[in-house]
Formats: sequence, structure tokens, C-alpha cells
Amino acid sequence: MAGIEKVPSPRSGAHTVIGSSIVIDGEISGDEDLVIQGTVKGRISLRESLFVEGSGVIEADIETANVEVSGQVTGNIAATDKVELKADCKVVGDIRAPRILIADGAIFKGNVDMDVKEAKGK
Amino acid sequence: MAPTDATTIIGESIVVSGSLNGDEDLTVRGRVEGTLTLTKTLVVEPTGIVKAEVQVKNCVIAGAIVGNVTATESVEITKEGRMVGDIAAPRVIIVDGASFRGRIDMGEVDVESGRSETRVAARPALRPAPVARPAAKAEPKRLEEKTVPAVSKPPAPPAPVAMGAVKRKVIVKRK
Repeated sequence: MAGIEKVPSPRSGAHTVIGSSIVIDGEISGDEDLVIQGTVKGRISLRESLFVEGSGVIEADIETANVEVSGQVTGNIAATDKVELKADCKVVGDIRAPRILIADGAIFKGNVDMDVKEAKGK
Repeated sequence: MAPTDATTIIGESIVVSGSLNGDEDLTVRGRVEGTLTLTKTLVVEPTGIVKAEVQVKNCVIAGAIVGNVTATESVEITKEGRMVGDIAAPRVIIVDGASFRGRIDMGEVDVESGRSETRVAARPALRPAPVARPAAKAEPKRLEEKTVPAVSKPPAPPAPVAMGAVKRKVIVKRK
């Protein structure tokens, strides 16, 4: 079927959303999912999932459980569970996670380390 | 993609520290510390805590703000809202039940035009009235009651010290 794009599920409501015109320079931490459509510089640490959408730009070190990148990330990513680089994303930095998925079309430069101990205690 | 509504939400468990800038509405249910600059509306929900220098167009406070708020349009403290800090905005609304400590500056007061004279005259009459929360109650009403017919009592009874907000306001107006 003619180029049906996967539309990201509407992630409104309960989650935290950083909208496309928002610029945060500093630190974000929390215990819930975070959707980023804007720009974040500094540091992100979460216990849940981070979604960087197409318009999202991150210049930060990331520490989370899950990361899904469709936008741009510059910085190191450390996930306790999974990192997924979608098509059209652009990532520069090191990735450390037990599961790492890189889709066709994703642009990535950096080291990958999947040798994370089974115990997710970190 | 996903052109949803341009609203940013800071969820309950999220802490943002640093500077936050943007051109869209922002709803805070978690914590924001540092500086916050928007060209649209900031809504601090009851669970939200903002400890920041805030510069926005409109600000609705149902949670807590510690810091100064500068708004180009309006600041509203709802009945659940708590704020400590100074407000600078042309329109300031503080409803019954809100708690607020700080100064309010509604900007230039045109002393030449007659209406501000009636304001000044009306104020002494209002002043003895407040009981529990003078700042919160007196503040919004004064605007609406500015047409109250002038003075029934001799002007300027000494304002209680606790009414810092109101007292300073008077000073601002007299300039």
C-alpha cells in the first residue's frame, strides 16, 4: 500500500509531553513516560520510556528504561531495557543497553554496548 | 507528524530544572525549577510546583509558584492556588481562597485621567474592610469597585504591616 507511514499512537493525556516549540536547558528527571517534540539540552533521567519524536532534538545524556528515537539525539544513551532507533532518526553518541534496535534508514554514529549485566540493578 | 495540539505537559512525577523556553501553552503537573519563559499561557495545576522566574503571556495558578511572575496579559490565582513572589501584569486576578504573598505591579497608572483618581479615592474606603486574607480579597475587587463613590472616611488609615501587597500597591499608584 502506497507508503503508509506508521503514525505514532497519540500519546497525549497522562504522559509528559515537551511540545515542539519548547526548549529546555537543564535537567529532566521523573518516573513516567516522556515524549519530546521540542529541544532538550542537559540531562534526562527517567525510570520509564523516552520517546523522541521526529521534531525532537536532544543534546543530552539520557538514562532511562526505554528509548525510542525518531528525531535527533546528540549524547550518550544508557537504557536498562531497550533502545530503538527508528528510520529517519539521527543519533550521535554511545549507546549502552541490553537490547538495541536500529531500523533501516536510521543514521547513527557512536559505540554500541549490549554487554549489560543481566541484573538490571545498574 | 502527529500535529496534535501544541500543548506541553509536564507530568506529575517529572522534575525539570534549568531553563524552559517556548512558544506554546504549558501545563505543569510536576515540578519546574529555574526559569520559565513562554509566549503563551502557563497553567500550574493543583499538583504542580514551580520554583522559577516566570515570564509568560497568561498565567493560571492552581498549584504553587515560588518566584516572580511577569505576564504580558494576566495572572490568575485560583482558589487552590498558592504563590509567594511578586507579580507584574496588567491584569491580576486573585480569587477567594487563593493564598498569595508578595507585591503586585499592574504597571503604569495614568494619573492624568480621571478614573485613576477615583481609584485612589476609593481605596481608603476599602482598606478597613478586609479581615482574613486582605491581600487576596482586596486585590481583584478594587479594580471592579473603582467606581465606588469617593471617600467616606478620612484618607489613609495606617495600613497593617501584613498587608504588604496592598500597601505597596498604593505606593505604586501614587507615583
